[in-house]
Amino acid sequence: MNCQEFWNAPPRQGRNVTPEQASHVAACAACAAQWECHRSLGAGLRSLAEELRRVEAPPRVEAGVIAAFRSQARSQVRHSGLSWWTPVFAWASTAAAMTALAFFLLRTVPSTTVKPGTVAAPHRTAQPSVQWAALETPAAADADLDEDSAGLGDGFIRLPNATRIEPNEDVNVVRVEVTGSAMIAMGLPVSEDRASETLLADVALGPDGMARAVRFVNDSGTF
Amino acid sequence: MVQYPLETDDDLFFRLRKGDEQAFAALYRRRQGAIYRFAMHMSGSPSAAEDITQEVFLALLRGECGYDRERGTLSGYLFGIARKLVLRNLERGRSDVALEGDEDDAVPRELAVTDDPLAGLTRHETIEALRRAVQALPRRYREVVVLCDLEELDYADAAVALGCPIGTVRSRMHRARALLLEKLNQERKPRLSVEAWKPMRCAV
Repeated sequence: MNCQEFWNAPPRQGRNVTPEQASHVAACAACAAQWECHRSLGAGLRSLAEELRRVEAPPRVEAGVIAAFRSQARSQVRHSGLSWWTPVFAWASTAAAMTALAFFLLRTVPSTTVKPGTVAAPHRTAQPSVQWAALETPAAADADLDEDSAGLGDGFIRLPNATRIEPNEDVNVVRVEVTGSAMIAMGLPVSEDRASETLLADVALGPDGMARAVRFVNDSGTF
Repeated sequence: MVQYPLETDDDLFFRLRKGDEQAFAALYRRRQGAIYRFAMHMSGSPSAAEDITQEVFLALLRGECGYDRERGTLSGYLFGIARKLVLRNLERGRSDVALEGDEDDAVPRELAVTDDPLAGLTRHETIEALRRAVQALPRRYREVVVLCDLEELDYADAAVALGCPIGTVRSRMHRARALLLEKLNQERKPRLSVEAWKPMRCAV
């Protein structure tokens, strides 16, 4: 080992000197003297480090960071509280939005307030051209889907589980465009091959805003 | 209070990230002194050192905390944050104390001090002389001396903190030591020359 190699990687303070470094220091007086200075400097630096070890941040710094930690922990609790009900809230909001959208779509035709027994579609010129499954199946005899049971007559079919419209009740009739599949979902007798088609229908809404009965209008908007 | 004497820094770190206040307090108490002293040495200002220490530990709480144990120790990571904050503090010119000899680009010439400048000094004198000499070092040499000599960081951790290769840390250490010896010698020579004067009787 020569002087250059020795000083390229001098021994670290407080670490053992390798045999090569020791033999070089033993052989080279200049490096030995300089190395002695470095050792003395290292010892002095260790003394300084020991002296400084007592220096610490004031207690107010700890108080500050602990307060910040607690504040963050509280906010995380709030966030974690949010985390489980946020999806529920999101789903509920989405469902509400879908309902509102459906309601908006259902109201594409201005509603008219009619009295029972006086319902008359403005374009009632012909029988519906829809091929009702109800006419082909025994379900047509189902009381829930009976025209007469709706209490309105004029081709209205009472919706399943809907209350009958009493003679003195005010009803709103709205004309809507609705898919056949939606009607099937509501339990109305629409043939499956027309499930994807858009149908015109008049929906009778009770005073509470709930749909009570429906009647189908043919594709041209007339019975 | 729950104590964590055997827990590593990493254990405490992962606990605190899960919201364990005791782990956070234990880690703070374990590391705050070194961070505060480093900030103090580098900024020269106790108030800046307080702010920096606080910011370093608050950084651990943030969601985007970038500590990765694969890159180095938590200690090196904390010093790295502290160093960045010190640099930001110096750039803003908020340091209360003007830093001497911060010509970082000046490469010191190779020095070969063979007279021990600390020989004959008392422990107190040695400490005071070294404190002044360290404070007078250019920043890039001061930071390696503070990290590796005063805070006894490994070169690897120091390299993480400084964001440079280990070889650079080693070479800076070598130059920093040489500079320290030179500054100590410069300080000692006037003292020796004054001591060399002997009282003489006035001939007039």
